[in-house]
Amino acid sequence: MSVAYALADSRVMVTRSLRHTVRNVDVMLTAVMLPVVLMLMFVYVFGGAMDTGTSEYVNYVVPGIILLCAGFGAGSTALSVAGDMEQGIIARFKSMPITSSAVVMGHVVASVVRNLVATALVIGVAFAVGWRPDATLVEWVAALGLVVLFILAISWLSAAFGLLLKTVEAANAFTFVLLFLPYVSSAFVPTNSMPSALQGFAAHQPVTPVIETLRGLWMGTPIDTNAWLAIAWCGGILVLSYAWAIWLFRNRTSS
Amino acid sequence: MTAIQTERRPQLAPASLSRASFAITWRNLIHIKRQPEMLLDVTVQSVMFVLLFAYVFGGAINVPGGGDYKEFLLPGIMVQTMIFSSATVAIGLTNDLQKGIVDRFKSLPISRSSVLVGRSISSLIHASIGIVVMGATGLLVGWRIREGVVDAVIAIALLLLFGFAMIWLGIWVGSMMRTVESVQGLMFTVMFPLTFVANTFVPSQTMPDWLQPVAEWNPVSALTQACRELWGNGPAATTSDAWPLQHPVLMSVVWSIALAAIFAPLALAAFRRRSRD
Repeated sequence: MSVAYALADSRVMVTRSLRHTVRNVDVMLTAVMLPVVLMLMFVYVFGGAMDTGTSEYVNYVVPGIILLCAGFGAGSTALSVAGDMEQGIIARFKSMPITSSAVVMGHVVASVVRNLVATALVIGVAFAVGWRPDATLVEWVAALGLVVLFILAISWLSAAFGLLLKTVEAANAFTFVLLFLPYVSSAFVPTNSMPSALQGFAAHQPVTPVIETLRGLWMGTPIDTNAWLAIAWCGGILVLSYAWAIWLFRNRTSS
Repeated sequence: MTAIQTERRPQLAPASLSRASFAITWRNLIHIKRQPEMLLDVTVQSVMFVLLFAYVFGGAINVPGGGDYKEFLLPGIMVQTMIFSSATVAIGLTNDLQKGIVDRFKSLPISRSSVLVGRSISSLIHASIGIVVMGATGLLVGWRIREGVVDAVIAIALLLLFGFAMIWLGIWVGSMMRTVESVQGLMFTVMFPLTFVANTFVPSQTMPDWLQPVAEWNPVSALTQACRELWGNGPAATTSDAWPLQHPVLMSVVWSIALAAIFAPLALAAFRRRSRD
């Protein structure tokens, strides 16, 4: 019975978060339009000058843009969680008979929904500008599954940071870090074109194996051990962030 | 019964335009001193762009005619820094109008235009700090001025002239918009294509055919090319037949004067309208 209650509470909180999204049109537009603008810029403005060893730069850059889009979306989760903590709405929820994790769950699930809508739009625009993936149905399902896993992982991580940082301004600074990671990865240029000091970081950070796996599934490039590394990174971040977020929520709201 | 002596109040002589403008410039600069984060756009943000393009993307970007990408990049980043100054002036002016500071200035015996002159001078100083920071960053990453002192000074003068023209755009937007958020949104929409669809970061020849003319006739491209030629950075514009890139110094002056001639009257009219409300 408690599971049913928890699910019902979470559904209410998801609806609340999605309603906020619909009402904050400018935030949603920014989260969706900025990755699209970045893709158009990288494909048309920088693409011709980039030497990535591929015939069409658009085929190289799309996985990175999708993860960047997920970063934008997850960043807003940190802001909304911090906003709730700051405005005292959590204290009101505490006086109601609802599951404690439902509030955070609402933010995370809404973030995943928002991100999937944004990802679908980015993929649509990618097709429009000449992206031509060479993937079977199984590879498409695997690629989208990995995207969802990545979105879930960073959404929970963002929620945890939103709880930790307390203020919207501090949470905003965290989103900058989230957006910085895809740039120093194989998202836009191959890691071997970077200076040796950066290569080590770019090759071993969590975003690179996810991008290389997506590129392999969609474009048929070698995946090697990247798939397992991607799942390990995303799974590890998801489990740790979930546990940390729930612990932080209980700690922050117990006083 | 003695008559009441009415003492005449001394007349307050209106401050000269230069004195009032200096006072308002000083006020705006004190803001920077009290809130150093106001310099983030021309310091940290620009340095991040240099490091990102020089070290992360630079290795994969081909400069036609050879040459070091870092040398090609720095003039473009400096032009971008000047363009960002228009956003600074727009946000600052909207903030003053929104908070009622300009209404308070109206009650003082100062020329109304001194508010704009002061704002534009402080914004130029703000942008100049950015140029100094970019120059220092450039020297650290390997950029050098390879031509004479006179050419180097002419390039800096062109940057400041263009910055002055862009400030009028900022004043116009700042006077038209009601909130800081809407100013940020609009300035981002204007500055994003202006700075990126140009030869700022990559040569225009590498862009698709339909985009090349847009980039070549973009005022930012002419100014960037002028700085590259005057500082001796990167390849000459001979690979492009576009007139603005063949005569970049002349076109930079023409664009700056044209933009100032268009936006200064619009800005003054908008500011008068807004400060009458």
